[in-house]
Amino acid sequence: MGEAEEISQPPALSCRDLSVGYGSRIVLEGISLDIRAGFWTAVVGPNGSGKSTLLRTIAGLREPHSGSISLQGRYLSAWPRRERARRLAWLAQTPGATDLTASEVVALGRFAHGGWLAHRQAVDDAAMYRAMVATGSLSWARRRLSTLSGGERQRVHLARVLAVEAPVLLLDEPTTHLDPPHQEDIARLLREQAYGGGVCVVSAIHDLSLALTADRVIVLGQQGLIGHGTVREALDGDWLSAAFQTRVDIVDHDGVHLWRPAVPPARRSEGDQRV
Amino acid sequence: MTGSRALGVLVLGFTLSAAAEAASSGFVLRDDLQRDVVLPRDPQRIITLVPSLTEIVCALGACGRLVATDEFSNWPAQVKVLPKAGGFEDPQIEQIVSLKPNLVLLSRSQRITERLSEFGVVSFALNTESYADIGHTVRAVGLVLGLSDRAAQLDAAIEQAVLKIGEEARAKHRGDGPTVYIEVDRGPYAAGPASFIGELLARLGARNIVTANLGPFPRLNPEYVVNHNPDVIFISPAEATSLAERPGWETIRAVKEHRLCSFAPEVRDTIVRPGPRVAEGMRAMADCLARAAP
Amino acid sequence: MSVLRPAVSIFGTGRSDAEMPHRLGTWVTCCLAITLLLTCGSLIIGTSSVETSLGWLLSPDAQSSVVLWQIRLPRTVGAWFAGALLGLSGAIAQGVFRNPLAEPYLLGTASGAALGVTLSLIAADASIGALAWTGKLGITGAACVGACAAIALTIGLSRGVLQTASLLLSGIVVAFLLGAVTSLLLLTKPDLWREMQVFLLGSTGFVSWSSATLLAAAFFVCAVPAVLLARGLDALTLGEETAQSLGLSLPMLRLTLLGVVSLGTATAVGQVGIVGFVGLVAPHLVRETLSVNHRQLLIGAALCGGALLQAADLLCRWIVRPAELPVGAVTAFVGGSYLTYLLWRRSRDG
Repeated sequence: MGEAEEISQPPALSCRDLSVGYGSRIVLEGISLDIRAGFWTAVVGPNGSGKSTLLRTIAGLREPHSGSISLQGRYLSAWPRRERARRLAWLAQTPGATDLTASEVVALGRFAHGGWLAHRQAVDDAAMYRAMVATGSLSWARRRLSTLSGGERQRVHLARVLAVEAPVLLLDEPTTHLDPPHQEDIARLLREQAYGGGVCVVSAIHDLSLALTADRVIVLGQQGLIGHGTVREALDGDWLSAAFQTRVDIVDHDGVHLWRPAVPPARRSEGDQRV
Repeated sequence: MTGSRALGVLVLGFTLSAAAEAASSGFVLRDDLQRDVVLPRDPQRIITLVPSLTEIVCALGACGRLVATDEFSNWPAQVKVLPKAGGFEDPQIEQIVSLKPNLVLLSRSQRITERLSEFGVVSFALNTESYADIGHTVRAVGLVLGLSDRAAQLDAAIEQAVLKIGEEARAKHRGDGPTVYIEVDRGPYAAGPASFIGELLARLGARNIVTANLGPFPRLNPEYVVNHNPDVIFISPAEATSLAERPGWETIRAVKEHRLCSFAPEVRDTIVRPGPRVAEGMRAMADCLARAAP
Repeated sequence: MSVLRPAVSIFGTGRSDAEMPHRLGTWVTCCLAITLLLTCGSLIIGTSSVETSLGWLLSPDAQSSVVLWQIRLPRTVGAWFAGALLGLSGAIAQGVFRNPLAEPYLLGTASGAALGVTLSLIAADASIGALAWTGKLGITGAACVGACAAIALTIGLSRGVLQTASLLLSGIVVAFLLGAVTSLLLLTKPDLWREMQVFLLGSTGFVSWSSATLLAAAFFVCAVPAVLLARGLDALTLGEETAQSLGLSLPMLRLTLLGVVSLGTATAVGQVGIVGFVGLVAPHLVRETLSVNHRQLLIGAALCGGALLQAADLLCRWIVRPAELPVGAVTAFVGGSYLTYLLWRRSRDG
């Protein structure tokens, strides 16, 4: 994805002067962002900073208090419902409990492509297959979700989201319930979607180390948006310390950014390099 | 019939004589709840809580002594203006007590006797369900009101009238009487031979399609009525028009040939209340049967 | 491209489980077989003895042919369709509200119908003019009108169908309110109690061919959109937000499905009175024997509900013949026993 190509197309997602909240309580205001396709953007911040709320609003699941959201250059509300569902896929933090089989759940991801009366076509089957292979959930295609473990269920839901084959993916804590190796698998998957598929991937992630393996970050703090940009910019600008009120330190260990609890200056050991 | 009435009189008399030493201000009688009730002599403020008891009291000429009745008592006309003390299921205790009655006459099934006695109100329970109860109740009320002679006369008059109507009706059918289905409520709930109206029907010589083993008010399978094909149907005016719409009922003889007996509410009262107007009710039934029977 | 194609064998022909069609197929066949058996049983059993009835079946005379084809057959067919309507409505209600305790009357239908019937009976008693009018409407019409009015009241109170919690609450409020009004009215007319009991406990006694046809028509009108929208119920199990993000119109889905529930329940209540437990138990029966998605659940619950009510109708005629038990009492007994068994099994399994 060359720079020139990027700039000529409208950003996959953008919001202007967005205010989001619950009822009369405003959680974030004045948010203006451009989120580009082909990158994996992580939304990080402390609890209560509004990560989920922001994602939900951008996904069109909540009405913003004020401001506008655009999807691929067009206002979110201007998109017809089915069309929008084909272009924007959402993974909830806690999808409901269900008795459906894994492949039925993944098949629901194809709903926007066919609608109520459509039968499953080869195209749908192919998309489902690809998604389930990518998430490693193919072997339990016929099993009921209630019989799977939390991590297995999470991967099935991810497969559903991937099966939509939407150009924009919004994921709220996609690595919940997953053990570290699988977390890394998912991270790799998201990167592949972004680079290889040109998908705009946005995910709220609370694990800082994992989040810092993304390309870009949106950092939220208790006061609102602290910054959005590349990971490098975030580290240079100490956005994370600001967001977490100086309770975290980021250290560079063999090229991998890790977080650790902030230590008082006297106890810092010499072996670590402060980034 | 006469035997049991005689027995009833005997028991009452026995109880009366046994309680002869009772205080001169009252006397003791056993009511139908098997309580020994201390009754005031010559009560002047009476409340009745069942229409049939109201009618008996008035038939004995003591209507003037009534201070209140239940809300369904409507005969004779003069009781309509009396204060009303609730229905059968929900008599109003406060109202009753505030009227300071000497005596409350009620049905055995009304469960307020304990409450009333807490307020010092004397209550006397009587069974008012079957034909046999009429004579027993008339005599008991006569005893309670101090009008035993009149009660005996009334009892005899009722018995005589009923027997006469029955004989006339039976004479009209040569042989078996018509088969009759009595519907009490849409359900269909029928009246069996054990019910009051069933007893009256039997006296008229008609045959009830419902057998005694089914109880007084069985809820029938509608098929049963179609199978038994009654000659005459006793039905409420509201349902009479829609009988033919019931599946299969258009084949019933009574429906096809329109042999239906419906009674206006005032007449219906005389048929369903075991009281002094039973002969009137029977007369209405007999007339209708004579018209409607084949 | 062929590497992307092997999906078909894994996913089956549009179904997730290759064995599922067989199990569901077996189940459906079983249900239909039971229905057939019950229908035959209904033809044989009635107020006359079984031997006489069998004799009739072989060579019916005019009288008995009336009983067989005008009374017993429409009754059992009507009972099946009423039960199917209730089972379908119950399954939909449980899906829309995502609550296994939901049942078809939760929008206040039962109380509304009872009030409608009470008013109609009181009016019939009151004057001849009113009698003519209520005669045209009939008990069934009055019950239907009452049911629809109650639903309108519930939806009005909860200001639309979008909020599940407020809809449920409104349904409860309306049920209590209308029930109280009904009781008050009945207190003034105690002789109507027995007739109301007939309605309140359900009665299949007077189901004629026209009733059965009406029930059948209502069933098909309800079943078609319900089965088409069943996938939406599947999506709803994943959560409302997820369902929305998949491209579902939640308002349309809820409105249509609740409309189906209302129509189905109002029609059933109008024809056979208030029969409880069928709508609650039928979906559970299906789920306990088969794990299904909602399309299969709706069909299964309809079949199951139909057979249940048919069986209850048969039992209520047979146990105290020639008298009859109220069919709602039988379904309550059977349904209650089944739910008790489920609870016992659940506590045993820990």
